[in-house]
Amino acid sequence: MSEKRADRTLGPGHDTFWKFCAEGELRIPKCSECSGLTWPVEPVCEHCGSDALSWQRMSGKGKVFSWCQFHQDYYRGAPPVPYDCILVELPEGVAFISNPKGFAFEDITPGMAVKLAFIDCEDSAGPFRLPVFERA
Amino acid sequence: MADYYTINMPPAARELSRKASIVGVGESDYAADYKAQRARQPGYEAPTVESLTTRAFERALADSGLRREDIDGLTCSFTYGGPPPQEMAQMLGLAPRYCESNGNIMAGPLPVVCAAIAEGKADCVAMIYGVASRSNGRVFGGTGPGSLQGGPSSYYYYHPWGWSSQAAHWALMAQHYMAKYGVREEDLGAVAQQVRRHAARNPNAVMQKPFTIEEYLASRYIVRPLHLLDICLVNDGAVCLIVRRADMARDMAHVPVDVAGWGESKVTHNKLYFMVRQQLGPQIVQAGRQAFAMAGVSQAEIGHFEGYDASSFHLINQIEGLGFVPHGEGIAFCQSGGMELDGRLPTNTEGGNLSCSYMHGWSQVAESVRQLRGEAGERQVAGLSYAMTCLAQTDQAHPLIFARGDAA
Repeated sequence: MSEKRADRTLGPGHDTFWKFCAEGELRIPKCSECSGLTWPVEPVCEHCGSDALSWQRMSGKGKVFSWCQFHQDYYRGAPPVPYDCILVELPEGVAFISNPKGFAFEDITPGMAVKLAFIDCEDSAGPFRLPVFERA
Repeated sequence: MADYYTINMPPAARELSRKASIVGVGESDYAADYKAQRARQPGYEAPTVESLTTRAFERALADSGLRREDIDGLTCSFTYGGPPPQEMAQMLGLAPRYCESNGNIMAGPLPVVCAAIAEGKADCVAMIYGVASRSNGRVFGGTGPGSLQGGPSSYYYYHPWGWSSQAAHWALMAQHYMAKYGVREEDLGAVAQQVRRHAARNPNAVMQKPFTIEEYLASRYIVRPLHLLDICLVNDGAVCLIVRRADMARDMAHVPVDVAGWGESKVTHNKLYFMVRQQLGPQIVQAGRQAFAMAGVSQAEIGHFEGYDASSFHLINQIEGLGFVPHGEGIAFCQSGGMELDGRLPTNTEGGNLSCSYMHGWSQVAESVRQLRGEAGERQVAGLSYAMTCLAQTDQAHPLIFARGDAA
């Protein structure tokens, strides 16, 4: 069953990101000039301003370096409060906001190893696969 | 980065230090307006940006002892919109030769005016700021009416993961820090509690009632680990500062407060990494160095500090980042009375964004002026020569240093 979520940002570049997610891949724009990764998706490299970007596949490994739990119902039940968010450090050098799958706020320790997973979700544009993280 | 943060600040140049002075200050009635807004008695009329800023301006003008015709500059900083500057000038009965929109959040607008005065664009500028955040139903977070929209580098990108709001930024920063240094929620509670104790001595603070740590822990979570009492207010208000060429500011109603230093540093990439992992440290350090060097003073000479307490925890980032206390010791410093009126660094003495008023850093500047003049009443810090105000959002730091006009 798919989870109802608030709307993704869509459009050029963003659509490509979600298309890769649908195929079970987490890919992030990488600059071919300075090798920097730009997340969230932007039209140009956030490090050097170049538009020579290509989609680099992430290993799917990560470590949790902070986390929080929402009680304020900013999204009117999508997802229902309380729910958790984690900030995952990808070894490729990206800080990635995500949700924990199969563990919660109380279970987390700093630097905890996690691995990529996808869950089925739906927003007003239709079904999509959301990148989340489970225990490694 | 959302555009409403962006302003081109003049460089922190030594030759611009103490070339302009704050000679008048006025604020709206934060506490009374908040109360009236909550009560909504029959016949209640919500304040507007125009009504709020007019009140602040008239108070600042009276405070300065200047005549209306002495004001030859006007800048308007309306975070959520307002009339164009020329129209505002007419409303206030001014005919300024320098009349501009001027960003919105502190600190940028003040250095911009100091530089304009140094360049001869005006001798005496009324700087007005106003927001009707509460009356306009401003919402921070989510996707509903009243929420802000922004570019990909803001939090709006994270809707599908449910990560939203300024509070969520402070929560991630706080949780990382608390896990790193073994800080408990009841320890963090001491920060909001300290700021509220100060507010209890300020008749214009929106929230004046002190609370216990038990009450703090019982207040609802907004984004755990942060409770309601860790998050700033949303209220209506306005601030006016009258800034005059320093050499024309010497024989006036009050001792002038010189703008002695400023600095600015922004995150340009990997925002969440620098914000959470580094507590915005590199930015705060860099901007702080610029401001101290420009002012020619050291941390030890700063007798009063105003930080940007959009959350309780962010105040700790700033006092640690600026070098007032070592990393990891900010909360213990607060718990042992370091931020009290007689502590080593009296901090947010008017009650800050948490308990006094959320004016995007402008009310902190107003408090720095009152403290340096010696007009802070029951919350006065003794023997001040220099004060610092640090503005720091989620991706930038921009401190200001003020000097009493008679300080060496």
